[in-house]
Amino acid sequence: MRRLFSKVFFILTVACIWEAVKAIGGYSDLLLPGVMSILRSLWLERIQIFHMTLFSLQIIGIGLLVAIVLAICATILAFSGRIFSEIITDVLAILHPLPGIAILPIAILWFGIGTKSILFVIIFSAVWPLINHFYTGFRSIPANQLEVGRNLGLSGLKLGRDIMLPASFPHILGGIRTGWARAWQASVAAELVFGAAGGNGGLGWFLYKKRFMMETPGVFAGMLVIVLIGIAVEYIVFTWVEINTVRKWKTIIN
Amino acid sequence: MYKKAQKVVVVLLLGLLATAFMAGCSGKSENSEVKLDEGLETIRVAKQFGLVYAPLMVAEKKDFFSKYGLNVQWKTLGSGGAVREAMAANELDAAFMGIPPFLIGCDKGVEAKIAAGYTVSPVSLVTYDPLIKSVKDFKPEHKIALPSPGSIQHILLAMELEKVMGDPNALDDNLVALPHPDGAQAMLSKKDIVAHFTTPPYLFEELSKPGYHMVLDGFDAFGGDFNFNVALVTQQYHDNNPKGYAAFVMGLNDVMNWVNENKEETAEILAPEFKIEKEKLLEYLESDGMNYTTAPYGIMGFANFMKESGYISKIPEDLQDIAWENVLAQIGKREGKPSTMEKIQWAK
Repeated sequence: MRRLFSKVFFILTVACIWEAVKAIGGYSDLLLPGVMSILRSLWLERIQIFHMTLFSLQIIGIGLLVAIVLAICATILAFSGRIFSEIITDVLAILHPLPGIAILPIAILWFGIGTKSILFVIIFSAVWPLINHFYTGFRSIPANQLEVGRNLGLSGLKLGRDIMLPASFPHILGGIRTGWARAWQASVAAELVFGAAGGNGGLGWFLYKKRFMMETPGVFAGMLVIVLIGIAVEYIVFTWVEINTVRKWKTIIN
Repeated sequence: MYKKAQKVVVVLLLGLLATAFMAGCSGKSENSEVKLDEGLETIRVAKQFGLVYAPLMVAEKKDFFSKYGLNVQWKTLGSGGAVREAMAANELDAAFMGIPPFLIGCDKGVEAKIAAGYTVSPVSLVTYDPLIKSVKDFKPEHKIALPSPGSIQHILLAMELEKVMGDPNALDDNLVALPHPDGAQAMLSKKDIVAHFTTPPYLFEELSKPGYHMVLDGFDAFGGDFNFNVALVTQQYHDNNPKGYAAFVMGLNDVMNWVNENKEETAEILAPEFKIEKEKLLEYLESDGMNYTTAPYGIMGFANFMKESGYISKIPEDLQDIAWENVLAQIGKREGKPSTMEKIQWAK
């Protein structure tokens, strides 16, 4: 209850500061829209925003799933031979710093201007942090824990399930968190740059349209939805997973 | 022990902050030196890329403004949206954009008015699909590329859809926002899109290929001629720099006239800029429908339709709300029935 209260208090404070800045600076709705006009825009556009949010979540979901599968494959490969491990480390060093949006021009050349390009950018953005975290996670399993496990008579799949997975899970979870954030960023950025294709567009396309109509309240409304979804996923999905895995297993301190 | 470490971190970060601050300050003082052009008025103008900007490119190359005592700082921005935002943020004094994006900006509180018309240019919807002869023939799977929502191309298409199908938004789900060069590339490779609402030189390039034909002529959709772009000057600049404003308008007239009188030389100067052969560029400059003029055409024509279709919330009451006095004087105010010049500012 206290936590909820403090959060509500925080949001109200931010809204007050926002309005105060607007009033003191004398900014027009074009430069800094008021809180009420943002909420009004959110309400007026709710159906469109809902559809576009669904579209964004769907494409990010698919992208993230593909990226996770790819990352698992790459990690398995990295652990099945010294050469692979070195190759993957090198590829990671080269491609991880490259922002996903930077490959958009190539994506458009290869896949055209449809959803496929955005999906490609999302996968590209998410896969490198995923591999990085997965690989680090399995590499950093303490040797003594493995020894204890072996002494207890565990081996093969059982050793993997009871020792390796719990030990590396904080990293895996961290990787999925980063991957999710990167996927969101990529999808919004890609749609902002090339504007998506017709009726099929996500929240980035919403921002793009609002920008070109100079509806700044709408732009803020779109950003608000993106933030809210980010918070919801963080507090509901990831926290739930964390409580039921690493906190339960006591691999990380509370 | 922990406290001590914390203190060290704070000192370290403060040091970094101070360094960054000093670097920022020294950067600023270097910048201010550039501005010392004694006696000259300065204007910050945005330009974009395209055949329609040919007079501006000539003006920059041959320095058409300095003889009127004006120093032009050219800023190149990627899209019309960015130009409008820069104007709203007071980063620009003058810019060129289509009438619809300008009306949207006006409606949202960008304080600028038309200082001159800027060319009349063909703008048309092209397709390579032989089955598409009018806007009625588009199927849901047919993608149409145009530069951006709210662009002149978008509004012209909506005007035609309103006339033919009674619904200006009938094809909104078919639209793809692509810059002209990307759209032309997609059209010529017949990939992703079947139609492209575009302007010269992309329009001419597409129409010169076999099988590519026009679905809609912008002038037909509008019902007359209209300025493809208008030159805008902000309220602030207009009110505070009358000399600079006058010089800007005069320089614009001068270069526009020069281009009309010297198309061949224009082509010669600009061929390397556009990276096409001189002959081809000359052909484009001289093609049917291109009119290099600063006269106002159809500057009120989009407003009614845009209000009815919900793109803007209010119609400018009078020409005075959207144009500066030199444009108003050109149009005039005939007693009794409106003059020809007044009539052509509205769409039919």
